[in-house]
Amino acid sequence: MKREEAEQYLYCAMSIGEQLLISGAEVGRVEDTIRRICMAYGAERVDVFSITSSIVTTMYGGEFETYTQTRRVGAMANDLHKLDELNRLSRRICAERPEPVEIKSELDKICGGPRYSFGVQLLIYALVSGSFSVFFGGDWKDMAASAVIGVLLKFLEAFIKRSSVNPMITALLCSSAGGLLANLVVLSGLGNHADLISIGNIMLFIPGLAFTNSLRDMFSGDTITGLIRFMESVLLAVVIALGFTFANFLF
Amino acid sequence: MMQEAVQLIAAFLGSLGFAVLFNIRGEKLAFASLGALMSWGIYLITAHFTDNAYLCGFVASVMLTLYAEIMARIHKTPVTVFLVSAAIPLIPGAALYRSMNCLMQRNWDGFASNSAYTLLFAASMSAGITFTTIVFRMIWKWAYSQRRM
Repeated sequence: MKREEAEQYLYCAMSIGEQLLISGAEVGRVEDTIRRICMAYGAERVDVFSITSSIVTTMYGGEFETYTQTRRVGAMANDLHKLDELNRLSRRICAERPEPVEIKSELDKICGGPRYSFGVQLLIYALVSGSFSVFFGGDWKDMAASAVIGVLLKFLEAFIKRSSVNPMITALLCSSAGGLLANLVVLSGLGNHADLISIGNIMLFIPGLAFTNSLRDMFSGDTITGLIRFMESVLLAVVIALGFTFANFLF
Repeated sequence: MMQEAVQLIAAFLGSLGFAVLFNIRGEKLAFASLGALMSWGIYLITAHFTDNAYLCGFVASVMLTLYAEIMARIHKTPVTVFLVSAAIPLIPGAALYRSMNCLMQRNWDGFASNSAYTLLFAASMSAGITFTTIVFRMIWKWAYSQRRM
């Protein structure tokens, strides 16, 4: 493998790793995937280190000696379909060793893959809020109120996300609005329990994926990443719960 | 009994919604939300035999991790896909809300008991998930090495 080739292959491997991390993979999987791809193309030794926000890879081999690339990884966007497809692609790369051009076009195809439309997501926000409001003991009035507030919160979230502020602020604003709306609904007599309405909405924002991943990271040996993710998700959960209860304090 | 049935339906629908938010597609969507139905079902069954909610959470998360690991092998996809959405009904969202609510009202006793419940329940869930993951992987590796020999 020539140096220019090594550059291209490692670039592809890093892109796959980056996309895996963004779509919600454990870092163990990211490191393993990059290592396997580089080994498949003939590197003698590969050292990969990844945390939630960065990936560093150095590979050693006969003709290109040593070669290193790093990536800074930005915001997370949970997408388990993409994760699944990327996993399939990396398996195929290791088995068939396609050209970099082909890998890039496959990767582009996966990144432009299907997502549920905004309309469907609105419905889903209503479904999730309504279901969990009932799940924790709300009646049908609470369910309806929670579903409507869920839809409003989706609009608010999309609006705030357009100005790309940090996720903590987004969560705080959305949850305060949710708490306020729940109290207003109860005051106007359209709902019965403000707490059960809010509990339905709270489930939308609780970082369940980050929390379970943090556990999986910690116990597969990636303690640093596990701790970062754990702290992030606990902090986020507390901020969200505080936001929702803040309105109760006013009324 | 009626209340349990309503809870099961709500758990199924809520997790189906979550699976959609995580962009899970096709038949995996059904299996992910069935996992949630199963995990809450097991929680309710265990709750019949014991009053200890933490134990129920532990048993339910052991079973759901087992389900997720097996499903992931069948569908050849990362375990996260099935694990995350199936774990959703067990997340102590209500207790978290109540503990913060008590904090806001300066009800320190309520805050202490609710936040302790939240933390301990999350801990017993994580214990169940990690315990099963580790044991399952050990058994899987062992079975794999046996087959090769």
